[in-house]
Amino acid sequence: MNLSVFLKNRAKESPEGVCVVHNSNRLTYAEIDRLSDALAVKLIENGLKRGERVVILLENSAEYIISFFGILKSQGVVVPVSIQLVVRELSCLLSDCAPKFVITDARRRISLDGLINPQFLIFIDKFDSSEGQGLLYPDDNHVQNDLAMIIYTSGTTGKPKGVMLSHGNLIANANSIIRYLNLRAEDKMMVILPFYYSYGISLLTTHIKVGAALVIDNRFLYPNIILDMIENEEVTGFAGVPSNFAILLRKSALSKYKLSKLRYVTQAGGAMAPSMIKEFIEFFPHVKFYVMYGQTEASARLTYLEPDLLTKKIGSIGKAIPGVKIDILNEQGRLVKPGEIGEITASGENVMLGYWNAPEETSQILKKNCLFTGDLARIDEEGFIYIVSRKKEMIKSGANRISPLEIEEVVCRMSGVLECAAVGVNDEILGEAISLFVVNDGASISEREIMLFCKQNLASYKTPKEVKLVSSLPKTSTGKVKRAELSRA
Amino acid sequence: MEDTKNMNCIDIKKKIKVFIIENFLLGDSSNNLNDEDSFFEKGIIDSTGVLELVSFVEKSFNVKFEDEELIPDNLDSINKVSDFILKKTST
Repeated sequence: MNLSVFLKNRAKESPEGVCVVHNSNRLTYAEIDRLSDALAVKLIENGLKRGERVVILLENSAEYIISFFGILKSQGVVVPVSIQLVVRELSCLLSDCAPKFVITDARRRISLDGLINPQFLIFIDKFDSSEGQGLLYPDDNHVQNDLAMIIYTSGTTGKPKGVMLSHGNLIANANSIIRYLNLRAEDKMMVILPFYYSYGISLLTTHIKVGAALVIDNRFLYPNIILDMIENEEVTGFAGVPSNFAILLRKSALSKYKLSKLRYVTQAGGAMAPSMIKEFIEFFPHVKFYVMYGQTEASARLTYLEPDLLTKKIGSIGKAIPGVKIDILNEQGRLVKPGEIGEITASGENVMLGYWNAPEETSQILKKNCLFTGDLARIDEEGFIYIVSRKKEMIKSGANRISPLEIEEVVCRMSGVLECAAVGVNDEILGEAISLFVVNDGASISEREIMLFCKQNLASYKTPKEVKLVSSLPKTSTGKVKRAELSRA
Repeated sequence: MEDTKNMNCIDIKKKIKVFIIENFLLGDSSNNLNDEDSFFEKGIIDSTGVLELVSFVEKSFNVKFEDEELIPDNLDSINKVSDFILKKTST
């Protein structure tokens, strides 16, 4: 089945149901379906073939959803790209996935200058609102394993990796999430997470499958606006990463709101301090708070903790979601005993096809259809999973996983830099903030110049919060940088 | 920290503008940032950027944002931040 059938079915069953609320616009399922049909026809007429990639470079909007389903309907592959990327990063991604088209808006045109032939740019303001006649639906039985999306994540090598997800992967994960969250057509999800991340995409697929409404607002930088929106639109669901909850708890007027219609809240994207979870549920005892865990490589979701068990099992990521098998394996590949630490492995229909253009990296992480997550965990006597640490040295800042190597590679290109190390340091809001330690060659290079160089060459979320010039980096006897020591410095 | 009561509107705006340019526009003053430009609409700052701006204003002008004052009307342009500071310091 093609994932776009989620939308088509809902448009048939409840055409007048509200699908998207964004700014002052309310679009029904019938309208989103018709507009995405029209886009699909346009893509096909312009030469898009099955399996060819189409990049979406937009912020969350109704147009994003139209683009997403339009591409899928035309049998293309959606490549969502972060709007925060700088030209160097965009160039790298575009050359890796070689898209046939890029869908964007006029605001982002300048960042694409010279990167893609203008004839392959599609601007959302030029969407054709005709009926989309002539769109022939493919034989759905054959597309289950077809590539639906490539989502780029930070790689441990510093080069972003394209996670290949099939229609079947995304459908399986959406169905599982719908089941344990008990999502229904009456729900309204407050969407603040970007659709270019797998967590954001899962909000899109699950809520559209059940015919719920997506209330989009990209102004989380002013959290009180989001709280007003939740109240005024009678929103029933909210999804966030730990930094979103930290901002709501510390930098908003959260205590002034009742949020009486809010039914469920989901949290993923890194560990949230148990004290903050407790604080949140004390404010809103009527809300079911779901702690979840996953990876882009698993189409988003792998485990969740039942809200009723939150107090008893605080700190746990719960157990496997329906349809997923999780094993914690020790270094000998055997199941760990309670209390023993091992690597989280997962298998299920949601596990990715592999990394785009990277068979070697795929074989390191996918073995016999089993995903080796790189996350270390233990289980208790009842089988509840507790993350202990990440095997991979990634920095988790806000909603982002950032490779220290990518930052280091960029900074080392700067004249005067001998070596450097980027590490995550504790941050009340972001979970981890980036701290960069730089050894220079004696030249007069300042911390400010290094910071400026980072801002010019890295997306804002990869830019260090602080830069420190040091005479040397602490290293092991084999010459490996002692990152843990720097994190405590 | 300067005595905000002795600063006029122009000085306040100038100080905010320097902060925005240095921290969010890579020091590029050719960006044509106008005092009325929306930081959100122009994509100048994100949610952590707003927190940096709040921290800067609180420290530099000796004012305090209450939780319910963290709204675009007080934060989303040089003019709005300046108006907020003047309102706070005049009471």
